[in-house]
Amino acid sequence: MAENYAGAKQLWHKFQLFAASSGTSSRATYSRKRTVMVFVVLSVLLVAATALYLYSRTWARMQPIIQLGIPVSPDAFANILARAIPHLVAMVASAVVLAVVSLSFQTITQSRVLTPSMIGFDSVFVGTQTALVFIFGASHLLFANPLVNFFVSAGVMIVISFFMFGFILRSSRNNTVFLLMFGLVLSGIISSSTRYLQIIMNQSEFFQVQAATSVNINNISADLVWYVLPIIMAVVVVTLLRHRKFNVMSLGPQQAKGLGVAYERELNINLILIAVGMSVATALIGPLTFLGLLAVNAARELLKTYKHMPLFIASSMIATFALVAGQGVMELLRGAVPVTVIINLVGCTYIFYLILKENRV
Amino acid sequence: MIQVQNIVQSYGRDKEILKDVSLTVREHEITALIGANGAGKSTLLSVMTNLVPAQSGQVLLHGQDIRNIKSNELAKHIAFLKQSQQLAIRITVNDLVEFGRFPHCGGKLGDEDKRKVAEALDYLNMGDMAEKYLDKISGGQRQRAFIAMILAQDTPYIFLDEPLNNLDIRYSVEMMKNVQRLVSALGKTVIVVLHDINFASAYAHHIVAMRDGKIAKEGPPCEVVTAQVLDPVFEHKFHIIDHDGKQVSLYYDHDEASACKFCG
Ligand SMILES: Nc1ncnc2c1ncn2[C@@H]1O[C@H](COP(=O)(O)OP(=O)(O)OP(=O)(O)O)[C@@H](O)[C@H]1O
Ligand SMILES: [Mg+2]
Repeated sequence: MAENYAGAKQLWHKFQLFAASSGTSSRATYSRKRTVMVFVVLSVLLVAATALYLYSRTWARMQPIIQLGIPVSPDAFANILARAIPHLVAMVASAVVLAVVSLSFQTITQSRVLTPSMIGFDSVFVGTQTALVFIFGASHLLFANPLVNFFVSAGVMIVISFFMFGFILRSSRNNTVFLLMFGLVLSGIISSSTRYLQIIMNQSEFFQVQAATSVNINNISADLVWYVLPIIMAVVVVTLLRHRKFNVMSLGPQQAKGLGVAYERELNINLILIAVGMSVATALIGPLTFLGLLAVNAARELLKTYKHMPLFIASSMIATFALVAGQGVMELLRGAVPVTVIINLVGCTYIFYLILKENRV
Repeated sequence: MIQVQNIVQSYGRDKEILKDVSLTVREHEITALIGANGAGKSTLLSVMTNLVPAQSGQVLLHGQDIRNIKSNELAKHIAFLKQSQQLAIRITVNDLVEFGRFPHCGGKLGDEDKRKVAEALDYLNMGDMAEKYLDKISGGQRQRAFIAMILAQDTPYIFLDEPLNNLDIRYSVEMMKNVQRLVSALGKTVIVVLHDINFASAYAHHIVAMRDGKIAKEGPPCEVVTAQVLDPVFEHKFHIIDHDGKQVSLYYDHDEASACKFCG
């Protein structure tokens, strides 16, 4: 017990040190307290969410058996638990990477309303899968091997984001409405051509594309998780290491250039990271348009800071909490609707609010 | 040493904004850039600081084309206060000035950096305002905060585009005195866009007058602040008088100006 207390105290101290690095003096004392509180609460929520999810996947599922009076052997229990773990890992990894790339995307587009998926990244993923099957057939390595397939779809997303979004970000002043409309048109074109291809391709291939692209949180491919985990970790670490550059970039392109940020280069690097992050997350748990947006904005509201390190961490925690806790509840309710549907519903409402607020309607 | 060689610059496919501008910046002096609205002063400054890369011609820093210098390295030599500053984020004066240290420390402030930040804040009398948010202070105070950031950047070359914007008379004079001190005490080289000819005349060592994308005339104040030079540059009739050995210009149209209506 005493040990536990000492450990907690040490942790508290670490939090304070972490928070202290984000300011000085009286105003900072207030914001430091606030930061510490936010992280403590989020940590507790995360632990609770994990527990809830694991409960929903194990004990909750075994209830009928237990009620029948059949004893559950530890082996069987471990077995069930082992099946839940990859799903949990996939959700955590996807939530974190979605939150992280959403924040970096918002910083390079200077907008609080946009996320990568809102301007067409999801449809690019589905479109690539369909095109691959249509051109090469479902048994071709490019589609059938998950790792190769992943690199191909990530590659296409990188190319598209580079030429399209890079072009827009470079040419016009980052205009939210323009980017949104562009994304709308892009995803419209891609989804309708995707649908066209799906209609004219043969039926068995169509079903395989369907299986690969209608991923959702209830049918995560457990194998893929371990393949892409290192990629996700790399994207997250590389992005987080740039947190100080993001701080400067949030001053705007002109100021950032003046302060010695190679803005074009940063833009390119971040577009690649975002494209990779988005394609992994989409491949893993399916399209999740609004999770990143919700998490990043909630983190901003809670922390009230421009500093990216705390924002990255808090938005990752919030996204993870929303996904894991939400899915836990859905499992308990016997999966009536996947949690992603709920998140998109809430996200949709929230973006309305944001757009109205930004335009002071 | 900064040399500008044959810069021709345009935005998009529009007409040329700078038409073959060449200029050698005089070291450890204040150079004032004057000219009418739209003459190309800000554009020239953007090109000289590589914020907008030169399209034709080149800008050399110590003999090296600035387009080939790494951004981070360049930001240790050249600081640039833009004509207008809008920030997308809500930060305090202190946060802003700390950003000035970014080229040196990459955002992780050491003791040296903190000292420079405090110095810059003091230099502009902003010490007691350090914790105020930028959107909660006056336009002039904000202008001083941005200049403090430029100072914290601690570069040998400082470019200021209309730093007297929003400053009252007292702070304008104080600002120019500070700029003078930067040159005399710290050995900096300052290029400053000024709209008030009298400030240029009083504080600059060297004046460059621009008209329509070209340098119309450059030289010491006594040569540039004359009706003969200024009239075509501003397309306005100037009346220059001599006051304590400095040339002072009266802006109002001499013929039309009448004496005070009340005291005859
Ligand atoms: N970003 C831009 N895109 C297109 N044209 C521009 C841009 N910036 C400036 N111009 C044009 O270039 C010309 C010179 O502008 P510049 O800002 O260099 O003038 P200036 O001498 O600084 O004027 P002021 O005293 O009003 O600040 C103007 O005619 C302006 O319309
Ligand atoms: Mg200008």
